[in-house]
Amino acid sequence: MINVLTGINATSSALEAERIRMEVISQNIANAEVSRMPDGKPYQRQQVVFETLLTQQTGGIGNGVGETGVQVARIEKDQRAPRLVFNPGHKDADANGMVAMPDINIHEEMADLISASRTFEANLAVVRNARTMALQTLSIGKR
Amino acid sequence: MNPLSAIRLPVSPDMLRGANGLTPDMAKLAIPQYELGKIASPTLQPSTAITPAGATFESTLGRLVSDVSAKQAAAGEAVAGLTTGAGVPLHQAVIAAEEASVSFQLMVEVRNKLLESYQELMRMQV
Repeated sequence: MINVLTGINATSSALEAERIRMEVISQNIANAEVSRMPDGKPYQRQQVVFETLLTQQTGGIGNGVGETGVQVARIEKDQRAPRLVFNPGHKDADANGMVAMPDINIHEEMADLISASRTFEANLAVVRNARTMALQTLSIGKR
Repeated sequence: MNPLSAIRLPVSPDMLRGANGLTPDMAKLAIPQYELGKIASPTLQPSTAITPAGATFESTLGRLVSDVSAKQAAAGEAVAGLTTGAGVPLHQAVIAAEEASVSFQLMVEVRNKLLESYQELMRMQV
């Protein structure tokens, strides 16, 4: 199979991984005020862990190096303790009127979101660049 | 025919003997025969080693066309998977479409070159 856009596979996997990261962050923001999950505990902040993904060599234009992509190894729970808020009227309040809320810092989540979005953008720039390079190379034959 | 034979002519043995009004000194200034031989020796042979046995130009071209066709089909499938919610991510569909587009343009360029060389041959004066 001809390979016109080389090096795209790694970028594609990075785009996918960053998309999952953004989904997890959006989940964290959405659940920042959830005091009761199905297990009765407050929502636990989640974060993604990336790992390298060695795709098999596809032949063609290769220099003997397999393309190293990235994938989400696992989505793990942040083990920080819940934040206790005094709210006696709340359904989940304990005897002292304290409610356990998830310890989610919205600023931290927004900073993570910006980082994920910028990384996504950088990978898009790689795709754009590869496309431009291929088209410019094709224009050698034009007159 | 050796394309450098015209250059070789001035340093024929006649000239070295001082014929054609050239002095032996002038003849020495000309490029010696053995130096020219170094330039002319690696003549281009039509290569048979690059293409595997049984692979004609036609089959190579056919493979290119079918590759491009496969890429178009893959792009169509990816877009269909995206629009029907089959779990194909947006970027993958766009990249597949872009790959199909670039490889199609490559095929068009090859076709243009072929046609150009054919027309060049047709214009040739016999």
